Amino acid sequence: MSQETLITRILIPAIQILIVVAVLPLLIAYLQLVERKVLGFMQVRLAPRRVGWHGLLQPIADAVKLLIKEDLVPDKSDRFLFTLAPIVTVIPALAALAVIPIAGTPFTVFGYTVQPFITDLNVALLYLLAISSLGIYGIILGGWASNSKYSLLGALRSSAQMISYEVPLGFALIGVMMLAGTASMVGIVEAQKSAHVWYVVPQIFGFFCYFISAVAETNRVPFDLPEAEAELVAGFHTEYSGMKFAFFFLAEYTNMIVVSSIATILFFGGWLRPFPNATSFDWLQNGWVFLAPLVLGAFVGWLLDQRLGTGLRFMFLGGAVGALAGFAAARADVAHLATMDLPVLSGAFWFFMKVSFFLFLYIWFRGTYPRYRYDQLMRLGWKWLIPLSILNVVATGLAVLVASPGGR
Amino acid sequence: MSDTRAHAAPALPSGLKDFLKTVLLLELWVGLWVTLKNQFRPHITVEYPKETVELSPRFRGVPRLRYHPDNGEELCIACHLCETVCPDDCIHIVSEKKPEGKGKRLVSFEINYERCCFCGLCVDPCPTKPLTAIYMSHDYEMADYKREGFVAPLKTLLDGMDPKDYKE
Repeated sequence: MSQETLITRILIPAIQILIVVAVLPLLIAYLQLVERKVLGFMQVRLAPRRVGWHGLLQPIADAVKLLIKEDLVPDKSDRFLFTLAPIVTVIPALAALAVIPIAGTPFTVFGYTVQPFITDLNVALLYLLAISSLGIYGIILGGWASNSKYSLLGALRSSAQMISYEVPLGFALIGVMMLAGTASMVGIVEAQKSAHVWYVVPQIFGFFCYFISAVAETNRVPFDLPEAEAELVAGFHTEYSGMKFAFFFLAEYTNMIVVSSIATILFFGGWLRPFPNATSFDWLQNGWVFLAPLVLGAFVGWLLDQRLGTGLRFMFLGGAVGALAGFAAARADVAHLATMDLPVLSGAFWFFMKVSFFLFLYIWFRGTYPRYRYDQLMRLGWKWLIPLSILNVVATGLAVLVASPGGR
Repeated sequence: MSDTRAHAAPALPSGLKDFLKTVLLLELWVGLWVTLKNQFRPHITVEYPKETVELSPRFRGVPRLRYHPDNGEELCIACHLCETVCPDDCIHIVSEKKPEGKGKRLVSFEINYERCCFCGLCVDPCPTKPLTAIYMSHDYEMADYKREGFVAPLKTLLDGMDPKDYKE
């Protein structure tokens, strides 16, 4: 093997994987802080504020606490499986990130072409479906190995939930696959560009089924029956502590990110800006030109509000002024900032904006909805989502057939 | 109980109305709107040890003793009425005859907060006028590391808890 292939085939992917594995826990730690903050605000309370300025160092403190906590293994548990379970949960969650592209165009580092994704599988969707089902094994094993009734009940609920919701999840993705004619993530986004429309428009029912099933798959509110803290203490991870618990935690949040990324790529145009083909929206190309003044204005206004105790009046005012300024700057294209050709950066920006929106949606759901009862969960899955997603597949198939007779 | 009143005829049959409500997820949207709105309300909780909530003027906290407003001695005349009325038997008074003049004075006055139920009955019979010697104060911070700390001596009853004590 020549040195060239050694670097492009092994070294670059290795570095990419390292970056993902190193950055992700930090990202998740802060996602957790955002979750606690937003939940706090939704419940009209303060949320973490003690560690660091407005609680900004709280994730670090939490991480340190988890690292130095005693790693308990219950007396009559199955030691081997008990240790294996968190690993089995976290590996598929991380592996799923391999096929998530954050931008479409490659860039050059030290003369080597680097893709903004680890790999572009031509069966990426199938890979994701397969990998995401594997994660449930960890939950079932962990619940069983704990030798605790609460853990076992949580694990049982999880397996039932997976069987019910994997089906509509898969069907919801088939609609997109038929429209795009490919199962590759990059291919699907490019198909949306050439179709001049995000697939959420033709696939609104598909998106609806996908997102509900995805929330259920990631065991989040309102489908958090496997860990229902009011009934099962903490469900499948009742007996876990320290790093083993942290692994389950990491897996849950990684799954959230993966699911949000898939929703973004399949239904919301991935790294494409809004209206990717209309030249009159070119000023949105580098979205931060518009967004940075908005955020800055809102932040300054918020600081002022904190000083003056004026609620959030200045925050909204600052945000509005910033939005106007950003709009003006972007439209006037000051120093070509808005339309500068930075394909990876502008793509990654829009990608992360969209993913953040879905992550916020998760937290928003958690702040709003009570948990489903077990029979309600089953009813929703089998009597609504599965028929709806099958109908969606049939309707999409007919539409594709009518639009292009003779097939592609 | 049967509903005998006639309802105004709904625009849609109630079955269809409920069906539409379910399918369009109306209630779920309303719920999301409520939580979104509430995010921007100012918080109503406070960072407790740093700031405290304002107490109402009639707040009844820990029973304490009052100084005499004129001469700075304790106001209590050692009549033992509060000790007698206390349903929990948590007040313990030792008194002696004043060396000169009439009446008695306190030797010690203890309230055992482990037993106290904060009923306020001790305040009612207190004979000193116009202010009662024993009163329900605005203090409410009474945590301690030792059980002995809950038996408040005369000094604590008059001056309140020394904040230093918490740091041990």
